[in-house]
Amino acid sequence: MLSADSKAMGIIFPNSFDSLVSKMVELRLMASLPFASRYRMVDFVLSSMSNCGIDNVAILPSKNYRSLMEHLGTGREWDLARKNGGVHIFPPFAENRGQIANGRIVAINNILRYLRAQNAKYVVMCDSNLAVNFDFKAMIQAHIDSGADVSIAYNEQALPESFLNSDDVNKDYYYSFDITEGRISEINVNPTEGVHNLSMNIFVLERELLIKLVKDAFDHGLIHFTRDILWAKRNELNLYAYKYEEYVARICSINSYFDENMKLLDRENLDALFGAAPIFTKIRDDNPTRYLKGTKVNNVMAADGCVIEGEVENSILFRGVKVARDAKVKNCVLMQDTVVEAGANIEYLITDKEVVVSKGKEMKGTDTYPTYIVKGYKI
Amino acid sequence: MAKEIVAMLLAGGQGSRLYALTQNLAKPAVPFGGKYRIIDFPLSNCVNSGIDTVGILTQYQPVVLNEYIGNGQPWDLDRLNGGVHILPPYQKASGSDWFKGTANAIYQHISFIDRYDPEYVIILSGDQICKQDYREFLAFAKEKKADFTVAVMEVPWDEASRFGLMVTDENAKITEFQEKPKNPKSNLASMGNYIFKWDILRKYLIEDENDPASENDFGKNIIPNLLKDGRDMYAFRFDGYWKDVGTIPSLWEANMEVLDPENSGIDLFEDSWKIYSRNSGMTGHTISTSAEIENAMITDGCCVDGTVKNSILYAGVTVEVGAIVDEAVVMSGAMIKSGAVVKHCIVAENAVIEENAVVGNETGVATVGPGVVIGKNAKVGPNAMIRENVKDGEEQC
Repeated sequence: MLSADSKAMGIIFPNSFDSLVSKMVELRLMASLPFASRYRMVDFVLSSMSNCGIDNVAILPSKNYRSLMEHLGTGREWDLARKNGGVHIFPPFAENRGQIANGRIVAINNILRYLRAQNAKYVVMCDSNLAVNFDFKAMIQAHIDSGADVSIAYNEQALPESFLNSDDVNKDYYYSFDITEGRISEINVNPTEGVHNLSMNIFVLERELLIKLVKDAFDHGLIHFTRDILWAKRNELNLYAYKYEEYVARICSINSYFDENMKLLDRENLDALFGAAPIFTKIRDDNPTRYLKGTKVNNVMAADGCVIEGEVENSILFRGVKVARDAKVKNCVLMQDTVVEAGANIEYLITDKEVVVSKGKEMKGTDTYPTYIVKGYKI
Repeated sequence: MAKEIVAMLLAGGQGSRLYALTQNLAKPAVPFGGKYRIIDFPLSNCVNSGIDTVGILTQYQPVVLNEYIGNGQPWDLDRLNGGVHILPPYQKASGSDWFKGTANAIYQHISFIDRYDPEYVIILSGDQICKQDYREFLAFAKEKKADFTVAVMEVPWDEASRFGLMVTDENAKITEFQEKPKNPKSNLASMGNYIFKWDILRKYLIEDENDPASENDFGKNIIPNLLKDGRDMYAFRFDGYWKDVGTIPSLWEANMEVLDPENSGIDLFEDSWKIYSRNSGMTGHTISTSAEIENAMITDGCCVDGTVKNSILYAGVTVEVGAIVDEAVVMSGAMIKSGAVVKHCIVAENAVIEENAVVGNETGVATVGPGVVIGKNAKVGPNAMIRENVKDGEEQC
């Protein structure tokens, strides 16, 4: 529980970094991307907030949020269906009232009235491209202890290749920090390759300060919170870097999506991500997974509701996947209700929901280029 | 607001023949089929049949059951009007009583049913595994304009004398009721599920309560009384899967039948008739390179490094390298350590089978109770019911 004077509310930006996995988010957004056999990306930060007593969460999508609304429902599964607070999705306004949010400043400006009406002292803001079991309480406490104006979480990691290779003009900015005695002395916008103190885009600051900063920036036509506010005011504001050393799965390309799923086949990684506190998700009421006679399974993570008759190796199976007899599945991520028919043979595929691999068909990607099959496609 | 039908679920049973499993919970709360409890079946049947008002009559060890049911949300029974209600015996101005019998349990909660002013009341038994559409049952009762309808199953004649039997005429009208008779005149066994017209049942419950000689039981008193008065009583034939899981062998067998839906008739994968339960919320199960799996059902949260054959693993079970699990029902959170052999048995929730211990063999079903630790190299024989920890190297038969 958060004590009364450290009470925080949450803001989640569910579209951040959509452009890095553009094929996978044609019909959804980063937040509703399925991950780790039975979750969606948003489950990690949302559950973490709920586990830390942050019981008032605003979600600010800019587009493609239907799947997210369906996933979250009333927020009950995260214990966020509340009379006071709970989870709220704020769809973007139509053109004549506010703007379609392109950066955080516009998105937050669109909910200023709501923000003003809250009573939480602090705001925790984050994206949903990170699978983390994050202790927000610890970060808020560190923020209070540091006396900083804004705290930003980072981890030390090599810059993902995809950040550099993305030629999407709408690509999201990414940032790294130079840190002097815990304070951020410089914010590097779109740094080049190498190991960095890479921003996780998880922010803690006082609600009143957020309102003031955003209102002012919006009135001056500014767009990006980190670039246009924090970087511009880096000598004025006291910015604190919060080092995060726990498990982070950062989704920033189809390859990293594949790799981060596969990494969870290692029990150490699985425990590191799920051990600390429960991660909640929408319940589907599937039966336990059934393995029939003649099946061969080796190094597999599978959710409930699957029926496995064939061979499965080094793969992640989401809820309701069917692998028929004599089918071979190797090094694959099969999302919900994928069907692999008899005798089919697949390797290095990421199949989206309800993909069917027909009888006897063979299809293979490679380890450096796993092939992604769009939702509902029949091979 | 008036309801056409209200369900009353008898869930007070102790399940004494399952005693290793029912020390701290009522029989309907006994886990089943990987991620369910027995009560999920009648509850889900109600919801799938459009019955949205359910009273659950509890008495014996109700705590686990109360917590499990909660506000009824997993079954979609958190309703403004109706929904699920736990109905325990309670203290009244005129005194307090435990439920004296099945009929007395309903009698004590007449006012609950009256609030919904229903035309019919369906009385359900909370200790059987069955997927039944109660809409068909009700349609039959309506068509016959019956005061009382009982769901019956055809059983083999040589087993008939173990059941309450309904003797019927060619219109399915009940002419005689035989409770576990030596010489059965019928092989239509009562499943313990009844539909009554509420005004009729209400009247008979009150009369029965006023009869000091009565045992206040549906089978022994209410049904014979209706029959004696020549009421319109009918038997509704059900021919789907039905199993009373009141004994360890039958509970084990029903679990094994879940593994074989093609032949057993109990298919938990049907989307059209889902069985709902409160979810473990655990992440997907993992099967490592050292594992061997054949003909098994495995639930979220399991970690399998050993061999699992012809078995059901409930949520969060661990099977270590070199352990063998065969023809076993392993309930939530149990741990089968390296080199242990678990065969033809039930291992209850959070039990620990230590290294190289052996539980069960091909013959009678062994049972290890909840939280029990079977020590290293210990041996538990067939048919054993283990409630206390077994020390390292010890043998228990």
